[in-house]
Amino acid sequence: MADGKNQSLFKGRPIKILLAKPGIDGHDRGILVLAKAFRDAGMEVLYAGLLPTPEEVVETAVNEDVDVIALSLLNGAHMTVFKKVADFLKEKNINDISVVGGGTIPDPDKSKLEEMGITGNFGPGTTLSVIIDHVTKRAAEARELKML
Amino acid sequence: MDKVDGDYWKKKIEKLQNDNPGNNPEYSRWKESTLEPWNKKTNLQEKEYINSSDISIKELYNSGDLRKGQEETYLGSPGEYPFTRGIYPNMYRGRPWTMRMFSGFGTPGDTNSRLKYLISHGESGLSIAFDMPTLYGYDCDSKRADGEIGRCGVNVSSLRDMEDIFDGIDLGKVSTSMTINAPAAVLTAMYIAVAKKQGVPLDKIAGTVQADILKEYIAQKEWIYPPEAHLRLIRDMMVYCTENTPKWNYISISGYHIREAGSSAVQELAFTLADGFYYAEMGKKAGLDIDKFAQRLSFFFNSSINFFEEIAKLRAARRIWATVMKERYGAKSERSMMLRFHTQTSGYSLTWQQPLNNIIRTTIEAMAAVLGGTQSLHTNSYDEAWALPSEEAVKIALRTQQIIDEESGMADTIDPLGGSYYMEWLTNKLEEEAYKYFDEIEKMGGILEAVKKGYIQREIAKTSYRRQTRLEEGKEVMVGVNKHAEEEEQPISYLKISPKAQDDQIEKLRKVKKARNENEVKKALKDLEKAMLDEEVNVMPYIIKAVEEYATLEEISNVGRKVFGGWKEPVIV
Amino acid sequence: MLLLNTDRIVSGVLAGEKQSIARAISVVEDPRLSPESRQIIKGIYNHTGKAHVLGITGPPGIGKSTMIGMLSKMLSQKGHSVAVLAVDASSPFTGGSLLGNRIRMQESLSKFGVYMRSLANRGLSGGLSRSVWDSVMVLDAAGFDFIIIETVGAGQADLDVVYLADTIVVVLAPGLGDQIQAIKSGIMEIADIYIVNKMDREGSYIALKDIEEFLAYSVQGEWKVPVIGTNSLTGEGYEEYISRIISHRDFTGKDSRTRLRRYRYELKLALEDEMKQKIDSEIRRLVNENAIEDMMSSRTDPYTAAESILEDLLSSDSAD
Repeated sequence: MADGKNQSLFKGRPIKILLAKPGIDGHDRGILVLAKAFRDAGMEVLYAGLLPTPEEVVETAVNEDVDVIALSLLNGAHMTVFKKVADFLKEKNINDISVVGGGTIPDPDKSKLEEMGITGNFGPGTTLSVIIDHVTKRAAEARELKML
Repeated sequence: MDKVDGDYWKKKIEKLQNDNPGNNPEYSRWKESTLEPWNKKTNLQEKEYINSSDISIKELYNSGDLRKGQEETYLGSPGEYPFTRGIYPNMYRGRPWTMRMFSGFGTPGDTNSRLKYLISHGESGLSIAFDMPTLYGYDCDSKRADGEIGRCGVNVSSLRDMEDIFDGIDLGKVSTSMTINAPAAVLTAMYIAVAKKQGVPLDKIAGTVQADILKEYIAQKEWIYPPEAHLRLIRDMMVYCTENTPKWNYISISGYHIREAGSSAVQELAFTLADGFYYAEMGKKAGLDIDKFAQRLSFFFNSSINFFEEIAKLRAARRIWATVMKERYGAKSERSMMLRFHTQTSGYSLTWQQPLNNIIRTTIEAMAAVLGGTQSLHTNSYDEAWALPSEEAVKIALRTQQIIDEESGMADTIDPLGGSYYMEWLTNKLEEEAYKYFDEIEKMGGILEAVKKGYIQREIAKTSYRRQTRLEEGKEVMVGVNKHAEEEEQPISYLKISPKAQDDQIEKLRKVKKARNENEVKKALKDLEKAMLDEEVNVMPYIIKAVEEYATLEEISNVGRKVFGGWKEPVIV
Repeated sequence: MLLLNTDRIVSGVLAGEKQSIARAISVVEDPRLSPESRQIIKGIYNHTGKAHVLGITGPPGIGKSTMIGMLSKMLSQKGHSVAVLAVDASSPFTGGSLLGNRIRMQESLSKFGVYMRSLANRGLSGGLSRSVWDSVMVLDAAGFDFIIIETVGAGQADLDVVYLADTIVVVLAPGLGDQIQAIKSGIMEIADIYIVNKMDREGSYIALKDIEEFLAYSVQGEWKVPVIGTNSLTGEGYEEYISRIISHRDFTGKDSRTRLRRYRYELKLALEDEMKQKIDSEIRRLVNENAIEDMMSSRTDPYTAAESILEDLLSSDSAD
C-alpha cells in the first residue's frame, strides 16, 4: 500500500510474515522466490518449511505474533487445507492475523476463500509488486486490530 | 562413496581450457572495422544478451571460437563415442522418437478404463501418475491426505489398488512407466506381486520407475526418510531388479524437476549428471558390474524456451556422460556410455495469459528436444498452466510432434545443427561450466553432502529469484505477461474431482483391512523392520511379502519412518 | 492509535498465556512503543529472576538449531518448561530478514509445549539489541524454567550474550577450521560449556582434543569448563550435556557474580535508554543560543560546550 498512514505503522517493527505450504506438496519455487522478495521489501520473513500441518502453522503464527500468514499450494487441496488454517484461527479467537493465499486456485474457489478471510489467492505469473502491495495492506489491517 | 580420482574434475577442466580458443583475430578485425562503425552510424543501444545459464552471448561466432580438436575429439560421429551427435548411427531414420504422453488420475478404476482405452488404440507404453498422498507414503484414510485423494494422479494405498489398475491387462504384454520416487520400492513390489498373481514370469515384466531420490531433495521435495535411507532402498531395488527383472528400468535420472524448480539450463545439466554419477558409484559399491547396470539408467530432461541453449545442453549431456562413464567409472561397453533420455517441454515457460501462445512455446521447445536427439518426448498442452489438460489440448500437443516429425524435415538428417559455430561453442561452454559444478560439488564432499547442506537448493533458489527479478525489471520478457499484455480474465476450466473418489477409496481400504490376515501382516512388517535395521540385508523380498499380505503403503512406510526417521531439509532461504 | 491494554498483556504473561507472551514480545520489540514497553516491564519485573538463561552460540552451519531442538525436547521431557529465542541478523539495507531457524526446530516444539520465538536483531552496533533483553524478561515472568537464546554465530551479538545468560554454551563442529575461527572471534573465552556437535563426523575426536588443549592453557576459575561431544540425531551426549547445565545452574545459584553482571548491564542499558530519551526530548533546549554564540565568537569549541551542558543537566537532575 503506497498510502503513508499504513507505511508508518511499520516504522518501528517491520511487517512479520509467515510463509507456509501446509499440505503434502513440495513445489516450492514460488514460495522461495516470495521469501526473498518479502525480505528485500523490508519484511521479517519466517518460512515454515515443507509439510507443516495446518495446526503447526497456526501455532507458529501465534507464538511469533505475525501480521500475515501466506499460504501456498499447487496440489489442488487448497479448499480443504486453507480452510483448516482459517478454522484453527477462528477456534482460537484470533482475528488480528491476516491470511493470504496463492497457487493454482481457480476463480470460483477464490470467492469462497475470500469469504473465509483468505485473500489474494494469486496465481502463477503475478508480479511481485502486486503481491507485496496486497500483503502490506493486509498487514496494516492486522496491525490496526492488534492496536500496535 | 568410493574415492575414484579426486582430481579428475580439475584435470578435466584444465584440459578443456587448454583446448579452448585464445583470441579471435578475425572477430576482432571484423568488429572493429565493420560492426562498430555500423553500430555507431545506426545509433545502436547497447543491450546485454544472456541466456538462462547466465552466459553472455556475442553477436557473432566463427571458426575462431571452436576448440582445438573440435571435430575429432569433441564431436565425432553419431553412434560413436563420445556420442555428441547422437547415440544411434541412424537416429530418427531408424525410428522416430517415442511420442509418450503422460496421463492418469482419479481412482484405480478410472485409471484402469483409461489404460484399456489406450491399449485398444494400439498403445503399449503405459504411463502412470500418482496422487500426493501416494507419493509421500500416506494412505487415503490418513489425516494428512484429506482433500488430496486422486487430485494429481491415481491413489494407491494397498496391493488391491494396483490389482484394480491392471485388472484385465496382461503385464507380460505392456511396458509401464511409473512416476514414483520415495515409495518406488513399494510400488515396484506391488507391480511384481500383481505379475506373480497373473502368472507372468518376472523376466517378462517391463517398464520404468523414476526412483531418482536425489532430485527429490534437490527439487521436487517428495521424500519420506533421510537421503541415506532412501538411497539404501534404491540400492536394494537395483540389486534385486538386476537379478530378477531384467526388463525393469529402476532409475530415471531427472533434470526435469530441477529445471521446473527454477534452475538454469547449466544447473539442470550439472546437477542431473552429478546425480547420475552418484547412482553409478552406488551400483559399483553394491558390487554390480558397471556394464551390467549402467545401461539401465536413463535420463529425463526439460526442454525450455531458449532454443539453442536447450539443444546445446542435450548435446553436452551426452558427451559428458560418455566421457565420464568411460574415463572415471571404467565402463567398457558402449551401451554404458550412451545417455538415453526422455524429454518433456517446460511447464514453467507456460502462462495462463493468452494461452494459445503456449502452443508456440511448446513447438519451439519440442523442436529443441528433437534437434537435441531425444529418445522420447512429451509435449505439454497449452492449458496446463491452469488446468489438467483437456482432450483437445492434448491432441494439439501430440500433433505438434507429428508435424515436426512428418512435415518439417527436421528429422531427415542427424544432428543438423552440428558444426554450427554458435552451437558448438555453446555446447563446449555448457560442458565446461558443468565440469566446474562437478568440481565444486566434489569439494563439498559429493552430491549427497551438497544436497544435505542445502547448497544445490540454494543455488537453484538464487537463480530462480534472479530470473523473477529480471522479469519484474523487464530485462527478460514473457509475452502476454510482462510485455504485450492484455486485460483478460483467468480462464475457468478445471477438473472437479468429486469428494466421492476419496470416500470410495477409504471405504475400499477399510474392506481390505478387514479381509486380510492381521497376524500375517504384523509378522511381515516385523520381518521388514528387522531387514531394514540390517544394512547388509536386501529389503525387497520383505517389501514384496508385506504387500502380498495387503499391508498398506502407509504401514510399510511407517516401518521405515520408525527405523530411519523423517527428514527436515536444511535452511534454503 | 495506541489503545493497547498493557495491564491485560501483563496479567496474560503472568498467567503464562501464549498469545499474551507473544504480544508482549511484539511490544518490547517495537521502538515506537517505548512507553508501553516500560509499562509492561514495570508490571512484570517483580516476577522475573527465576528462569535460568542459556546462551547458545557458535559459528553458523554447525547444527546449533537442531541441537537446540533436541535439548529443549529433552529438558521438557524431564519436566522443565522451556522457551527458545532465536536471534537472527536483519539486513542493514532493507531492514528485512529471513528468520530461518524455525524450519529446523518446529518439529520438537509443539508436541513438547516449548515456546519458540524468532527475533530479528536490530541492534545498531551489531550487539544484542535491547528487545532481546526485554523479551527474556517477558519469558522469565511467564514462568519458564529455561530460556534458551540462540545467536547467529557471528559478531558482537555472540559476545554480548555473556551479560544476559547464566550459562554460555559454545558449540563447535569438527572440520572447517571452526576452532580457529572461534578463537579469533573471542567466543572461546566466554564458554561455560563446550559442545562438539556432530560426533559422527570425521575429525570430531580431534576437535574435542583441540579444545581440551586450548582450555589447558587458559585461565580457569572455580567452574571447570566441560567439553562434551554430542550427536543431535542419536541423542548421544545429551544426558551429560543436561546434567552439566543443571550443575552449572546450581553453581551460579551459589555464586551471584553472573547475576550481578546481568543486573548491572540491565541497569546500564536502561540508563542509556533513559538518557537518550531525555536528551532527545530536550535537545532543543540543550542546544542553547548562548553556547552557539560562544562557538561563533570562538570562545569555545563544541566539545567543551557539550561537556558543560551535560554537567549542568546531571547536577540539576540530582538537585530535584
